[in-house]
Amino acid sequence: MKLLKSFISFTFPLIIMLFIFSIYLLVDKVVNSYKHSIANDYAIVVITNTPFITIDEIADMPIKDIEQLSRTKIIEGIKDNLSHSSLELLNKKLPYFYKIHLEEFPTTLKLEQIRKELKQMTNIKRIETFSSDHNQIYSLLILIQDIVFILFMVVLALSLLLLSKQIKIWFFEHNERISIIQLHGGSLLYSSKPILKTILLSAVVSSAIVISLLIIVVNNISLFVQPEILTIMPKVIHLEFEIFQIFVLSFVIPLITFFGLLIQYKSK
Amino acid sequence: MILANNITLSYDNKKNIIENANFNIKAKDFIFISGSSGSGKSTLLKAFYGELYIKSGHLLVNKTDLSKKNYNKLLTLRKDLGIVFQDYKLIKDYTIEDNIMLPLKVHNYDDTVCKTQVKKLLKHVKLSHKVGAYPEELSGGEQQRVAVARALAHNPSVIFADEPTGNLDDYSSDVIWKLLKNANEILGITVVVVTHRIPQDLGIKYRRFNIDEGVVYEAS
Repeated sequence: MKLLKSFISFTFPLIIMLFIFSIYLLVDKVVNSYKHSIANDYAIVVITNTPFITIDEIADMPIKDIEQLSRTKIIEGIKDNLSHSSLELLNKKLPYFYKIHLEEFPTTLKLEQIRKELKQMTNIKRIETFSSDHNQIYSLLILIQDIVFILFMVVLALSLLLLSKQIKIWFFEHNERISIIQLHGGSLLYSSKPILKTILLSAVVSSAIVISLLIIVVNNISLFVQPEILTIMPKVIHLEFEIFQIFVLSFVIPLITFFGLLIQYKSK
Repeated sequence: MILANNITLSYDNKKNIIENANFNIKAKDFIFISGSSGSGKSTLLKAFYGELYIKSGHLLVNKTDLSKKNYNKLLTLRKDLGIVFQDYKLIKDYTIEDNIMLPLKVHNYDDTVCKTQVKKLLKHVKLSHKVGAYPEELSGGEQQRVAVARALAHNPSVIFADEPTGNLDDYSSDVIWKLLKNANEILGITVVVVTHRIPQDLGIKYRRFNIDEGVVYEAS
């Protein structure tokens, strides 16, 4: 019973930490996917007097593509209402239209910088950024992403505290055994094998629980989030890398704590 | 085997327990260290197996210089030692076989070798009928026999025994003395025993060091 209690005292904070980490990964994945999709849809339109010079980046943001809008298509759309002479004049005077696609969706601040830099180019007549629609949702998602990350860091710090406390208790409980084994030439690591085994078992149990929970949540995402949110989520969420990250973290954090305390114990 | 050159021992740099001790213990010697209670017998023994660092001087045990703090060298030295304590120091949640097996496991012997050696030692200390028992299920004398078996398991070059019969009745004490005597006579193991009561009829040639007010001297 005592063994089970101490096992749970170690496993529980680990599960909470991994669970928050998996939420962070999920939010991060959804936000990144949304960022990617709005970056794909989004373009800045510039109107120039002369053909636009190709550039690779603007305001430190890489440009994915510069697409020239066909002048013929624009004229086709309005030619029925114009006389032949007006049409000829329009053909001569019509400026060039370009759509600039960026690799990432820009923040409001970046957008201002982009606008400034484009304005400095002499041949540009007009710039249209069309950002206000996307910007609110985007900012909200970034905020959620940051909040979840901060929450994860806080939980990580608290978990480290609880894990190290439990490992210290185990070192205290095994103190007699450790000293007897050391008197017979066993190293500190060798004499702490039972503690290490419990930690590894706990890591396996915690990661199994959290990974199962994550898979259940992802496969039944509609039960957990509002339908409006579903529209911005990727249709299929692949979690292989996230599962791997959770699995690795479930071992790395307890092992770092264990070896840190082992060094501290050795120096005593 | 053990060479002490002007060694001084103290706990936390307070009053010196042993002062400027000089002696030499040779291989295959049987040594008694005696003295009154609190004279520093156990303290001296602790210095031999590195449980206590010496304050000054030079102490060589099996060519390991114990005046220098080196954790890895200390562990290597301890692998070649057998230690018997007054309070047995058996691991409570290990069976007696696992306790005896401990030095063999530290040496990374494989399971077959360990089991064979444990079986032999249990027979040697007359505890074959107690296979699978835990230390708490045994009497004090039986526990000490397990401790002696553990000290002999890996065929050490030296056995340090700290009041090995201190908690035992006469019969159990005789058994322990016989086991230590055989270890010295038959296996050629150096035996260093701290005791305040040297058995009269041990039937073995031994050397005796006495400690009086921090001074170690060899008694004739």
